Amino acid sequence: MSSETVTTKTLDFEQIKRIIPQRFPFLMLDRVIIAEPGVRVVGIKNLTGNEWFYQGHFPKRAVTPGAMLCEAVAQTGIVFFHLQQPAAQDVTYLLGSIKIRFLHPVWPGDQLRIEVTPIRLMRDAGLLTGTVMVGERVVARGEFGLSAKPNSEL
Amino acid sequence: MVERTIDQEVTQLIAEIIEMDPAEINPDAHLVEDLGMDSMMALEILASIEKKFRIKVSEEDLPKITTVNRAIELAKKYVK
Repeated sequence: MSSETVTTKTLDFEQIKRIIPQRFPFLMLDRVIIAEPGVRVVGIKNLTGNEWFYQGHFPKRAVTPGAMLCEAVAQTGIVFFHLQQPAAQDVTYLLGSIKIRFLHPVWPGDQLRIEVTPIRLMRDAGLLTGTVMVGERVVARGEFGLSAKPNSEL
Repeated sequence: MVERTIDQEVTQLIAEIIEMDPAEINPDAHLVEDLGMDSMMALEILASIEKKFRIKVSEEDLPKITTVNRAIELAKKYVK
């Protein structure tokens, strides 16, 4: 797709909350800095030592759980999907699969840059790639499947 | 020769996604009812076939992937 046909926009925290259903303590996306519908979404999550999961993971050394990185990728994927199918209403997004490799520990104070791009999109499901970076370093990358199920079918 | 390769490749791709030994898959077994495939696995199979053979399968053809043999037929339909 040529750059002329791509609309790039950003989303702030309140706009993100109008798209994704997650709320405290499960919001893993602070801002979307690049949103190119059908092409890619890049989000930011600032991790502070105050995050709830550091209480238990781990009490003597705070390390970001891989599961929370998966969640950050999935939430960015929901934004991607929503921008792709903005008309989809009254649906629940379900993570169908995720194959991810964690390449480096993520610490309090790190800023996550989460990029999601499509592998294959359908009307109600998609296979996507997710890449999580801290600074110039890739800390996790993988592929995941997301589906949008009408609430009436759940 | 080409067709045998497609048969083997598709069987292998499906086996990896549904996590079975390709030799244990009955090519006429129903992927959902007999082999436990779900809709996300179906999409993964479709994407992997597309990637392997550098083809683009229509979304309308996704429900046709009901057995390994049907998937092979579908791949052959698109591979020139």
